[in-house]
Formats: sequence, C-alpha cells, structure tokens
Amino acid sequence: MRTKQHIDFFTTPCGSGIDSALIAILLLWCIAAHARESATNLWSIQPLVCPNVPEVQSKIVDCSNPVDRFIEAKLESKGLHLSPEADRRTLIRRLYFDLIGLPPSPEEIETFIHDGSPNAYDKLVDRLLASPQYGERWARHWLDVVHFGETHGYDKDKPRPNAWPYRDYVIRSFNEDKPWPRFVEEQVAGDVLYPFTRDGIEALGFIAAGPWDFIGHAEVPESKMDGKVARNLDRDDMVANTIQSFNSLTVQCARCHDHKFDPISQEDYYSLQAVFAAVDRADKAYDFDPAMARNRARLDRAKKNLETERNEIRERVRKRAGDALTKLDAAIAEAEKASKKGDAFGYHSAIEPTQNQIQWVQVDLGRVVHLDKIVMHPAKDEFNNIGEGFGFPVRFKIEAADDPAFAQNVRSITNFADADFPNPGIKELSFSVSDIAARFVRITATKLAPRQNDFNFALAELEVFDTKGTNVALGATVDALDSVESPPRWQKSNLTDGWYPGAVTPESAELARLKSERSELLGSNTPSDERSRLAGINLELQMLADEDAELPKTHEAFVASVYSGSGAFAGTGANGGRPRPIFILNRGSVENPGKEVGPGTLHCIASLPARFDIPPDHPEGERRAALAKWLSSTNNPLTWRSIVNRVWQQHFGKGIVETPNDFGNMGGQPSHPELLDWLACEFRDGGQSLKELNRLIVTSTTYRQASAVSNERAASMDADNRLLWRMNRRQLEAEAVRDAMLSVSGRLDLKMGGPSFQDFVIEKPEHSPHYEYELHDPDDPASQRRTIYRFLVRSQPEPFMAALDCADPSMQVARRNESVTALQSLALLNNSLVVTLSKHFAAKLERDGGSIAAQTHRAFYDAIGRPPTEEEAAQLTQFATDYGMENLCRALFNLNEFAFVD
Amino acid sequence: MKNNSPFHQLRSASPALTRREFLWRSGGGLGGIALASLLGRDNLLAADSASNPAMRAPHFPPRAKRVIQLFMAGAASHIDLFDHKPELIKRDGQKSDFGEHVEAFQDGLGPWLKPVWDFKPYGQCGRQLSEMVSALGPVVDDIAFVHNMVGKTGVHSQATYLQATGFQLPGFPGMGAWVTYGLGSMNDNLPAFVVLPDHRGFASNGPKNWDSAFLPPQFAGTAIFPGRANPIADLMPGKRGDFINTRSEAATHELLASLNHEHLKNRESDARLDARIRSYELAARMQLAAPEALDISKEPDYLLDLYGIDRTTKTWPKEINAREEMDAFGRKAIVARRLIERGVRFVQIWSGNDNGFPRRNWDSHEDVHRDHGPLAMGFARGTSALIQDLKQRGLLDDTVILWTTEFGRMPSSQGGKGRDHNPYVFTNWLAGGGIKGGIVCGESDEFGYKPLDRANPTEVYDIHATVLHLLGIDHERLTFRHNSINRRLTDVHGHVIKELIA
Repeated sequence: MRTKQHIDFFTTPCGSGIDSALIAILLLWCIAAHARESATNLWSIQPLVCPNVPEVQSKIVDCSNPVDRFIEAKLESKGLHLSPEADRRTLIRRLYFDLIGLPPSPEEIETFIHDGSPNAYDKLVDRLLASPQYGERWARHWLDVVHFGETHGYDKDKPRPNAWPYRDYVIRSFNEDKPWPRFVEEQVAGDVLYPFTRDGIEALGFIAAGPWDFIGHAEVPESKMDGKVARNLDRDDMVANTIQSFNSLTVQCARCHDHKFDPISQEDYYSLQAVFAAVDRADKAYDFDPAMARNRARLDRAKKNLETERNEIRERVRKRAGDALTKLDAAIAEAEKASKKGDAFGYHSAIEPTQNQIQWVQVDLGRVVHLDKIVMHPAKDEFNNIGEGFGFPVRFKIEAADDPAFAQNVRSITNFADADFPNPGIKELSFSVSDIAARFVRITATKLAPRQNDFNFALAELEVFDTKGTNVALGATVDALDSVESPPRWQKSNLTDGWYPGAVTPESAELARLKSERSELLGSNTPSDERSRLAGINLELQMLADEDAELPKTHEAFVASVYSGSGAFAGTGANGGRPRPIFILNRGSVENPGKEVGPGTLHCIASLPARFDIPPDHPEGERRAALAKWLSSTNNPLTWRSIVNRVWQQHFGKGIVETPNDFGNMGGQPSHPELLDWLACEFRDGGQSLKELNRLIVTSTTYRQASAVSNERAASMDADNRLLWRMNRRQLEAEAVRDAMLSVSGRLDLKMGGPSFQDFVIEKPEHSPHYEYELHDPDDPASQRRTIYRFLVRSQPEPFMAALDCADPSMQVARRNESVTALQSLALLNNSLVVTLSKHFAAKLERDGGSIAAQTHRAFYDAIGRPPTEEEAAQLTQFATDYGMENLCRALFNLNEFAFVD
Repeated sequence: MKNNSPFHQLRSASPALTRREFLWRSGGGLGGIALASLLGRDNLLAADSASNPAMRAPHFPPRAKRVIQLFMAGAASHIDLFDHKPELIKRDGQKSDFGEHVEAFQDGLGPWLKPVWDFKPYGQCGRQLSEMVSALGPVVDDIAFVHNMVGKTGVHSQATYLQATGFQLPGFPGMGAWVTYGLGSMNDNLPAFVVLPDHRGFASNGPKNWDSAFLPPQFAGTAIFPGRANPIADLMPGKRGDFINTRSEAATHELLASLNHEHLKNRESDARLDARIRSYELAARMQLAAPEALDISKEPDYLLDLYGIDRTTKTWPKEINAREEMDAFGRKAIVARRLIERGVRFVQIWSGNDNGFPRRNWDSHEDVHRDHGPLAMGFARGTSALIQDLKQRGLLDDTVILWTTEFGRMPSSQGGKGRDHNPYVFTNWLAGGGIKGGIVCGESDEFGYKPLDRANPTEVYDIHATVLHLLGIDHERLTFRHNSINRRLTDVHGHVIKELIA
C-alpha cells in the first residue's frame, strides 16, 4: 500500500527539507515568502498621486486631450505615432456599439457623415451617452464582473424570480450617472447608508448575485459539516465578489493560507468573511417610496417598543412570583417531557411530484365491527414551516369494506372528492357512521397536500369507534399504498398508536392543570395598573397590526439580508441578526477552526484602518457600512485604479492592466502606469462621473484612430498593440450580436426594465427544473427585447449565447472569452432565432418595397453599416434572386463584417 | 497527432500577437506553451511556431491516448454493486453501530442492510460482483477496483463538481477539458471532448460539469444527444429553416467565403478573420461527420445485441425497467466507441439525470432494489460490451475507462429499503490503457463505511493524476494561470497510483 506524503506547504519552514522531492516545493514556498515581504511594494496599493501630463513632440497629431499625450509620448519614445483618424462611417459604428451596444441605422450614419458642424462628433457622443440604451449596454459589463445570475446554480438549480431589480438598479445607476462612490456604497451597505431608498435595497443584489448551494443551505442545517462548508463557501463568494469587483485583488487566495504572492493575510480574509456573517441570499420586502418605507419602519419600531414594554412588565411579574414560578416552570417542563409521546408524528405517504396522485392508508380492525364514528387527527410537522395540518389531504374520501383490497362491497362513509377541504390545523374531524359493519376502514387522498414543491398525505391518528364507544382502531394493523417509513417520526404504525398533537393523556391533563396554576400565579402577581397597561399594549399592538394591513403591498428583491426562517435554512433572523462567529480556518477546513475574528478588511492599504472601530453588539449592517466606506474612500487607490481600468478595457478591448480582476503581484503590469493614475485621479477628483470618463476617452485621438495596420514598423515592434498605435478591431459580444440582429430585422422591442424574459420552457419545476431552450418559440415578442433582459440560468446556459461567449454567471468575468469555433458558426447559421429573424428581416425589406436589387442594397446597409460595393451588390442581388431574401439575410448575419467592428 | 479540429480555432488579434497573447493569458506556463503549440500545428501561426518550445509530445511516453469516463449521477452504492461485504450479510437487520458519531446526510442510520443482491466470483481474478452487474463478469479481469475512495462532501452538486472538475465549486474546467487542453484533438471534423448525457436530461450542475471555465472555450465538452433530431445544438437548421435547402446552403457558404475574403483584404494581419472563414468550412465538415459518427444502423446485429440495444420496442413502461436502461446506455456506449474510433479524445457518458422523483438516477434513498437494479443492469451491459468491443478492435490498449460517481451509500438502511449518502468511502474502477486488470487497489472496512486504512485513502486527485499519467501528462505540469494561480486539475494534491498501472 502506498503512503502519502502530507506536505504542509504553509507551515514548513524554509530550509528544513528532509526529502529531496520537497526541494521544489520549498523553493516555491521561499519565493512566496519573499513575494509577501516585498508585497508592500506592489504598484497597485501605492497612494494615488496625480502625475504630470507629459509633453509631446508631434505637431501633426492632435493631443489636446490629455489622454493622447500619455499615449503619444510613449509612442514617440519608441519612434512611433498615433495612426490617422478612422473615417466617419467607421467611427459612428464604433461609437454606437461601444456606447449603446446597437448598430446605427443607415439614416443615422448618413446624417453624421454629412454633418458639417465642427462638433459633429461631440454631439454624437453626447446623444449616445444620454440615450437610455447606454445604461443597458454598460450595465452588462458590470453584471459580468459581479457574476449576476437568476438561478441558484449547483444542484436543483432553482429560479430567482426576484433577482432582476438589481439588474435594473445597475442600468438606472449608469443612466443617472451615479457618482461611483455612491454606487459602491449602495451595493455593499445601501440599506444602512441610504436607508429607506429603493436603490439602497435593490443594490444589495450585488452581494447576492453569485451562485448559492440550495441543498447545502436548505436541506443541510448549519450544525452539520456539509452545512458549514456550504456557508463558508457562500461567504467566500461574497468576499471574492466584493474585493475583486471593487479592488481587483484575489483575496480568495487567502482562504486556506496567507496569500502566497500578495500582502493579504488569512486573518484579513476571514475578517472580510465576518463582514458578511449575518446576511444570506434571500428575497426581501421593501418599498419604492421612501415615505412609505419610513412609515413602515415607524410601525415596526412602535411594535418593537410595545413588545419590549410588555416583556418588561412580564419580567417584573415573573420576579414577583419568585420561587413558586421557578418551581412551577420546572414542573411544567417535566410534564411536557412526559406528555410528549416521543416524536411519533404519524403516517406519511410517499412524496409525489404532482398533486393529483392517489395515496391511501387503511386500518385492519381484525374483525367485522359495527361502526359508529370515525375520527381523523391531522398531523403536525414544522417542515417547510407547514406546522399544524401537515399533509392533510385537500380532497379525500373515507370508505369501509371487508375486502382488504377494497375491490368489492365498498361502502362510502364520506367523500370530499369534489371540492377542496380547508386545512383543519390540528382540529380533529369526526364523521358519524350509521348502519355500516366492516373490518377495514380506508382513507384515500384524491388530492394531496402541498409540501415543498411536491405533495404528500399525512395523518397523525385514525380512531374508529364502535357502537360501545371504544376506539377499536387503537393498535390496529395499518396498511398503505406507499408509506415513508422513517421511524420514530413517521411510520404506518403511528397512525394507531393513540398519540396525536393535542391528545389528552393523563400526562397532558396534568400539564394543563400546571399551566392554569401558572397563569393564576402570574395573575395574582400583576398589580392592576400593570394589568391595565398590558391590556392597553395589546390594544395598541392590534391597532398597529390593522394599520400595517392597510399599507400597500411591498416589492420583493433577491438581495443580501438577514434571513428569518425555520428548518435547515434558518438564517440569523431568529438570533436577532447577530452575525455568525467567524474563525480562521486552518487550511480552509471547517473542521479546523482557529482564532475567532471580528469584522475588518485588508491591511495593505496603509492609509486606511483595516479593522473596524465599531462597538460590540453593533447591528450587523454597521460592518458592511464600514467596509463600504473603506471601499469608497478617496484614499483607497485600488478602487479608483480598478474602475478606470475596467472602463478603459471596454473602450479598447484591453485594459491598461490586462488583468482587470487581479492587480496583485501575479497579475499584469500597467502598460501606461502614469495614464492609469492620471485617469484615476481625474475620475476621483473630478466628479466621479462614469459618463465624463467615457466622454474623455472616446473623444481622444487615441480612440478615434483607424484600426487598420498602416505602420509596418509599429506592427513589427508592438504587434500586441499594447502601446495603442492603432485602434483594436473588436469582435461583437453575444449580446451585441443578438441585439443587432433583432434591431436590423425590425423586431427589437426597446421596453426597459422589469422581470426578465425567458427564452426557455421550464419542465419539472417541482424538483430540479429543466430549462428547455428548444421548446421556446423565438417568435414570442416577449423575448424580442434587449439581451440584458434575458433570464440568466446558471446550470444550463442558453446554447446560442454560450456559443458566442456570453459571460458565465457562475464565475466573475473580468474579460469575455473571444473564440472562433465551428460550433459558433453552426449557431449563427442554424439557431432558430437566427433563422426566424432572417425571415423577419426579409419580410421587413419586402414591406418597404422596391426591386430585389434595392432590397438587397438596403439589407446590406442595415446589417453592415455601409452600402455594398458594385461588385458586392451584383453578387448579393444574384444570390437573392436565386435563393430568396431570407437566405440573403441569413448570410448577412454570418458575415465577418457583421461580427466585427473596425 | 493532428490538431486542426474546429475546436482549436483560437482567438487572436493578429497572427504575430496571438501566441504572445495566449502565453500571456495563460501565464506562460507549460499549459500556455502547449496551447501555443496547438496553434503552431494548426498552421494559424506557422511563421511563429518554429521558435516555440512547444509541448510537441506529452511529458513522457503515454500508455493511452483516449479516455472514456462513466459517471453514475446521484451516487451509486459500492456495497450493492462492487464492494462485497459478508459482514453486512451476517449483521443484516441489526442495529447499526459505527463505533463513532456519524453525520448522516438525511436520516440513514437505520439497521445494517445487507447487499440487496447476491455476489458471485467472476474471471480469473475471482472478483466478487453483484448479480446486477454480472454482465461485467467477462471483463472483470481487465478492471482494477479502488474501494477506498473518499469524498469531501455529501452534497450532490459539490460532490459531482469534485469528481468532474477536481473542485467543489462551480467555475473549474471538467477533466475532459483539461485533457484536450493538454493533448489537443486527434481529428479534424469532430469535437475533441464529447459528452453523452443521460437521455432524460442533465445531472446536478448540468453542463457546468464539462465546462471549459477559465480554459479557452474550445476545450469545453460538446454535449451530444444521439437520438435527437439535432444531436449537437444547431448542427442543422430546424423546421423553421424551410427556406434552406442543399443548394442554397452551398451557395450561402460560397457567398460567405467570397465576401469574407474580400473583407479580409487590408485586414490580413487579423488572424481571427481568417480563422472565422475557416470555422465555416469546418462547420460544414462537421455537419457531415457527426451524423455519420452517430449512425449505428450499419452496426451488425450481434454487436447491437451485445450492447443490449433493443431495435423493436417503441414505447417503454412508465416504471423504471432494466430493458429500457440497457437500451439507453447501450446506445451511448456504442456511440462512444464510434467516436473514439474517429479520433475523439475524451468521451464522458452519464447514467442518470437529476435527483428528482420518480428516481431516474442513483440517489436511492427510498429503494435501492427498485432504482439501482435497472440502472446497474443498464450500465453494466453496455459497459461490458464496450470493453469487449474495444478490446476486439485493439482500442482498449490505449483507451482508459474510468467509472465514477459522486460518493457511495451507507451500509445502514434508510426507511427500510434505501441507503443514505456515504461520502466517507466509495468505489471507482478503471480499465484499459495501461491499467493492471483484475486487482483491487485500496479497500474499505468490513462494513464499507470508511477506508480500511483511514490514514491512506484515495482521493479524486489521485485518480485524476493517474489517468493523466497514463496519457503521458505530469499532473503537476499541466497548468493554466487564472486569477494569480497556476491552476491544475489536481489543485495542490494528487499522487499517481503506481499500483494501478500495468
């Protein structure tokens, strides 16, 4: 048998190598240790100091925009220059896709080309930045980064029907040009820092954006190891999402050990986990209207105050009752234990996926008995918060027979098979019988009780009384169609064991006596003033409840919140929202907790405190508020460098730092560090407006360059175009391809916001939903909206979008993949959406009329953004004549020129 | 080895920068170099590849070229199929006592439950197999069992991820993605990594189990449903494409090629544009190659029978049944052989879909007999046929077969007839390319509760390391830089299990 070398990477001291095989590892460890020591030199965490804008030599290149002076100066140092400006046709297509993600119409192109005013370009930029489609385009970039999805992912990938408010929040924030620090703060602690606002709640969808292990939370309690693992990984996702998105550091590398390359300790990492230790991903009720939100908060506060006062009075009364009460309470506890007949809940049928399944249970009385009365006792189980009346059938019938198979001579005792029976709670149901003598009594559920996305039939006790008043079913043999045998709680024999919720036994009679004695004792210790105050409090509470009931319905959003639930997924609500204790986990294992840590963040930003100065017993939100303020601080250089780099990347295809989520030692180095810092300072100190940053960049000469290779020397020196001696040609993202196809075929519905459209049909929703994209009708107008409104399934990505490299909501996507594959070509040729839109495009052209040549010309201009050349026109017209306009439109969607922007 | 599959058409901004960019994006590690070499061999970067110290061969001489992975979704019971436990027969019905606190996933700590089926010895090696997998008897001498596998979680989704990708979280590439990333494709008209999901649908995590995650997207598994009209998504235009016919299709390809070449003028330096032109040619080739590869109609009757494929039954009973399971699995197994023959590098076959009701996977909490029985007979018949078929064609020698599942099931009962999750021990088995057959390598304890030697269990990393080793890959050197970390299939773990290797 082989043995294993358990090498402890992180505690093995340098130089104690005992095994030559370890040398490489030790070397790595030493390098890592060295990296940590020198990590404080990391460029990205140095304070932001605004650099001087460099001088340039060139008299030809327009460098009035400071951005260009940084770029040109560096090019000049290599003997290179910026390329000439692209033509207007190219510029308008570039700007449209870049700023709003849609193609310009031929009319818009012609207008721009012929606009003789000196500020034609600036006017176009202004118009696009002011367009509502701008927010839809730029929100998508942010949603990639924060891995926003609308199902949980993992197993049983359930939908999140209320996740979309966060998406709309992001779109709205970009369109309103919300100052960046506010955008940051709202997403981490909007409920605390901007209380009663709609944005302050919806923004918290950021923390909840990522995947969630439904089974690990909802089916496994926090007390089990699997439950602990799931919650640890859940907080890990929140921490990674926060620090990577806002600060571009890979903090999650410090979950098992100190970060090997960056100055992030394991303690820093777990301090960040502590910030999120009270919240879970869940639906939260909120108001749009701040006045309404305040009013609701006022009612809540008043209710809490009254409850506190009531508790205080009760406490005083308890004190006065003294020892007698203590003794009585002990006796009650004892009696409760005695009166509880184990956990024999009753009989429980098999769990069915649909409600209209038949389930039956029957008792064998052993002999033919003259029946007088049948009594049903409903069961009680807190599963899924159901409680009393658990499993009680919605429709059922009671029958008697002498044949155990109930095949012959079946007599009906009662039948509720035609209308729904209201759930009785645990109230017993009694049915008198006359003139029936039988050996078997059967209850058949014809419509099952809802359980949790599935259905069942359960019953605590069935009593059958004979004419002498004896329960002849007590201890009788029970048979069932399909019973869950899970003792002690659920088993067939529990149906005739004499126990049910509320059963009066000698023990329970004693309990009732003790309880009444207790209430007398308390009464005699309550002076009249307190008694009347208690009555007053109850009255006031009732009035508050009435007032609350009058308020309009709240909205719901899937966000980070203190969750109150029972069962496995309890949240921290029951504990008053007190954060879970967070320990440093040795090697990241929940089985090896070390020191407990409080809330905090990274030490590596020297100018900001890494541990939060908040009093003990603070409300949990204070932790998130402190982190939010740390992130949004003008003294946090990562925040400002990170966002300007992301924006730069969207405009040029590559960031100044090419690893937008990793500004650590193993990430990329900035190609233009001074420019990055200048942009960060400009953005931070000049209004913190994203639109101004967009404007600054897109009006630069650098941005307006042609993408063609006009300088062979530059091409040989800097083939990667890191120095930006030309513009990068861009491949359209999945969303832009789909939106452009909808747009040119005249089918794009620009309706904004609201619940996402679903381009799939859900099958088997009750357990593990199957998202069947093939069953969706691409002609459904509800789905012909901008792609950002598409419902995002984690476990099963939509095949067409996935082939075009859409972002995977299971991982933080800092930069899209850009692939060219045969599967992509097949998708663009054959996907039902493309085929359908080809038909619509052709129909639109036909409606607009003209010869085939004219239609062909228009089709090409619509799709590609320029008129076809004479040769192209001839070729296309011939094709359209031979194979029809639909085939022509399909071909246009597949052209390289459709998929790329110069 | 050829590497000009359509799935190796890579992104690039210009021919010269492609390699550099790739090296950069992949951190310049060996993985990056391997990738660049794929490009070189793909002639996209012919000019640049000469100077490229690529991984032109594997790290060391391989024993195998291909992998077929069989994944039993829902967690198959080692105790009832492969890991014979006489002690459980002796103690059947007695109160279970594990001698320590056990954390059950649900409430599966009922009395000891003996194997639901009888075991008998098979082959030269005399390995005991359950009646339900007796079809594997003729090939048991080719199989090496690992009975001391341990997992990290009893949660299906995490455990499925762990076995499929080596990590418990979403966001990591499937094993097949790593293998094709390391070795490339061996054909020029089919995907290198093919997944044959259960015909009823996906298991936990769906396609995320075979995703490329941070690896370039062309290494993702391609799901193929052989029975469907479009076995590969969008392989052919559907019924909406009534305006498309063979002639228009040919003309469309001609038109695209012509206009795209025209567009390429003055943009020659952008390799993506040329790659995209070629991707349409490759797509057209795949439209011919895939249906041919999936067409089993010309397979001889005796072979179809061997695989348990039913050619007469049109509709199946509502209840789960062995004949239907045999037919469904057999069709995937024979298609796997056809794909392997045509140069597909990695095939993953799934048995069972999600954890729903009625059970159509291996998650037998309620009734092992009812659900495991048909599924086991189904996979065993098809798998045995596959091994025999490959052997007869001389393909078994360089094809590794790996049977796995997310975890095992408890030796104690749940609700009388079912078994709860057992992440503490379970079985994997391997056969074919370089595997020493007829052996057991790592045993479980007398109940099948935990490894016999608890200090030295086998983990998924060891299995993955061993399979990579057989393919000529050092699992510590197959890396891809992502978010500061040189990621590996085996994370920071894994030991090649020398005892498994012939």
